Amino acid sequence: MNALIFSAVSGVIMMFSSFLLNNKNSVRVLAHVLLLATIIANIFELRGISFFHIDTRGMLEFDRFALLFTLVANVCTFAFFLLSSRDLEKIGNHYSDYFSLLFFILAGIVVSSSFKSLLMLFLGIEILSIPLYILTGSDKRNLKSNEASLKYFLMGSFSTGLMLMGIALIYGATGTFQTGITVAEKVPVLLITGMMLLLFSMSFKVSAAPFHFWTPDVYDGAPTVVTSFMATVVKAAGFIAFMRLFAEEFGSIRPEWKLLVGIVAAVTLFIGNITAVFQQSVKRMLAYSSISQAGFMMLAIYSLSNDAKEGLILYAAAYSLATIGIFAVLVRMKDYTFEGFNGFAKQQPFLAGILVVFLLSLAGIPLTAGFLSKFYMLKATIDGGSLALAIFAVLMAAVSVYYYFRLIQSMYFKTGNATISGTTTGFKYTLAALAGITILLGIFPNLLTNWLYF
Amino acid sequence: MGITQILFWILAITAIFSALMVVISKNPVYSVLWLIVTFFTISGHYILLNAQFLAVVNIIVYAGAIMVLFLFVIMLMNLNKETEPQKSKWLKLAGAVAGGCLLLVLVAGLRHTEKQMTEMVTGDIGLIQNLGKVLFKDYVVPFEISSILFLSAMVGAVVLGKKEPRIPVETEMRKVEETQQAINI
Repeated sequence: MNALIFSAVSGVIMMFSSFLLNNKNSVRVLAHVLLLATIIANIFELRGISFFHIDTRGMLEFDRFALLFTLVANVCTFAFFLLSSRDLEKIGNHYSDYFSLLFFILAGIVVSSSFKSLLMLFLGIEILSIPLYILTGSDKRNLKSNEASLKYFLMGSFSTGLMLMGIALIYGATGTFQTGITVAEKVPVLLITGMMLLLFSMSFKVSAAPFHFWTPDVYDGAPTVVTSFMATVVKAAGFIAFMRLFAEEFGSIRPEWKLLVGIVAAVTLFIGNITAVFQQSVKRMLAYSSISQAGFMMLAIYSLSNDAKEGLILYAAAYSLATIGIFAVLVRMKDYTFEGFNGFAKQQPFLAGILVVFLLSLAGIPLTAGFLSKFYMLKATIDGGSLALAIFAVLMAAVSVYYYFRLIQSMYFKTGNATISGTTTGFKYTLAALAGITILLGIFPNLLTNWLYF
Repeated sequence: MGITQILFWILAITAIFSALMVVISKNPVYSVLWLIVTFFTISGHYILLNAQFLAVVNIIVYAGAIMVLFLFVIMLMNLNKETEPQKSKWLKLAGAVAGGCLLLVLVAGLRHTEKQMTEMVTGDIGLIQNLGKVLFKDYVVPFEISSILFLSAMVGAVVLGKKEPRIPVETEMRKVEETQQAINI
C-alpha cells in the first residue's frame, strides 16, 4: 500500500510542479527525490511496517512476491531516471508531465502485481497502459511516433476489450471477482472460454507471439527514452500480473492451459530470435530481443514453481537493468544502425566495455545475472516436466548470441566513426554501477531472492 | 409464455439483428444509427433484469454522448464510398477465417452450458440505492484507484492536446528530415 499511495501522490505532485517550478533542473531533482521516497517506503513495507491501514476487502494483497517486484521495478525506474531523465527533456515541452505519467505507471505496476480480484487486475493493467499510449505519442512532430501511438492505442484497447469479455465470462462461471477459485471435477466451459480470452489479452500486453505484431513498430516509433522504459519495467510488470493471474486464478485448472502456454512460449522464442537476426537497426533489434526474452519469461508461467517465482524476479531485474543500460547509450548515439557503432570501442573504451557486460547478460553468458535467471527458468521448466521445451529454449538462446555479439563485433572489430554526445562523468559512473549490479547478481543471486523469504 | 419472456425474445432478436446490421451496412452513418438501436435493446434487457440505473446510464452515456462523438467523427472525416479504402481479397479472406475460428471456438465452448433463464423479477440489486451502497462500501478501493486512471488520462490529454510553442527552425528541419527518412525506409 505504501508504494501505491506514494507513487500516486508523487504523480500528482509532479503534475503541479509543471507550473510551480519553472526550472527544469529542480523538476528533475524533485522527481528523483520522490522516487527515492517511494523506494524507501516500499522497503519499510517489505520489512513489515505499513504506514497506511486500509481495508481493501481482500482485493489487494501485498505479499512478499508483489512487494519485492515493486521494489525491483522502482529501483530499475530510478536507474532509468538517473541515466535518461535528461533525454526526456528533449521529447517535448511537458517535461514534468512525463514524470507524472511515469509515476502513474508505477502506481499501476503496484496494483497489477498485487491484485487479488480480477477487477483490480483490469484497473492495474489499464493504469499501466494508458500513460504508455500517451508517452509513445509524446514526440508530436514525429510522424512515426504518432503512428506508433495510434497503432498501440487501437490494438491495446482491442486487447483490453478481450480481457473484459474474459473477466465477464469468468464472473458468469464463478459468480465472483476474487481470485482463487476452486472447481469441481468438471470445469465449466464458460471458465475455460474466459481463461482463453484472458490468456490472449495478457499475451498481447507482454508481446508474446502470436500477439507480438505491434511490438517492433511501437518500440521503434516511440521516442527512444520511452521505449527503454516500456520494454523493461512495464513488460516485467505485465509478466508478474500474468504469473499471478495464472497461479492464483487458474492454478487449479492447470492441465487445461499448460500445453497452450508451452506452445506460446516456444513460438515466442522462435519468432523473436529468428527475426532479430535480420535487423539492421539496433533499436529494432532490441525490440525483437525483448520479444525473445518474453519467451523465456513465459517459461516461468509454464512451470509455476517456487524456482520459477524466484527466477522471474531475477529475470525481471537482470533484463531490465541490462536493457535500460543499453538504451541509455543508444539514446545518445547519432546513428541507430549497427554501422553506427563501428569503432565505438576506440573512442569510448569505458562505455564499450560496460555495453559488453550488458550484452553478455542479455545473451546469458555465465557470471552475469542474465545467465542465472535463464538457468532458473530452465531448471523450473525441466522440473515442470518438459525437457524438450528446455532444450528448445537453450537452442534459441544460442541464436540470440549471434545478434548480441554482432553489436560487440561492430564496436571492437570494425573501423568507423561512431559519434556519441553528452556523456558526462556521472552518466558513466551510473552505467558502471549498473554493470556492477549485473555481475554481482550473477554471482550472488541470493542477495535478491532471499528477500522473498526473510 | 409470460410477458417478460415475450419481451425478452423480441429484444434479443432485435439486438442480434441490429448488431449484424452495424457490421453489414455499407454506409458508416447507417452503421452508427444501427448501433444506437443495439444500445437501446440492451438497455431494454437491463430493465428486464430490474436494473433501471444501468439502463438509463447506458442510454445517456452510450446512445447519447459516445454516439454523438461517433457521428461527428464520421462527418468530419467525410467518409463515403469513393474514399473507402480498397482491401485486398486475401485480407478479407484472412479476416473471415480468423473471425470464423473465434466464432467456432466460442460456439463450441458455449454449446454445452446448462440452459437456464435468468429472470430477475424480484431482484433489486440493480436499483440505484443498492448500487450506491455496494460501490461505496465493498468496492470503494477500486473506485478510488480508478481515479488514478482518469487523472493519467487527463494529464495525457493535456500533453497531447496542448499547442507546442514554435521550436527553433534547425530542430524542426532536422525532424522533418528524420520523418522523411523514416517514410523512405
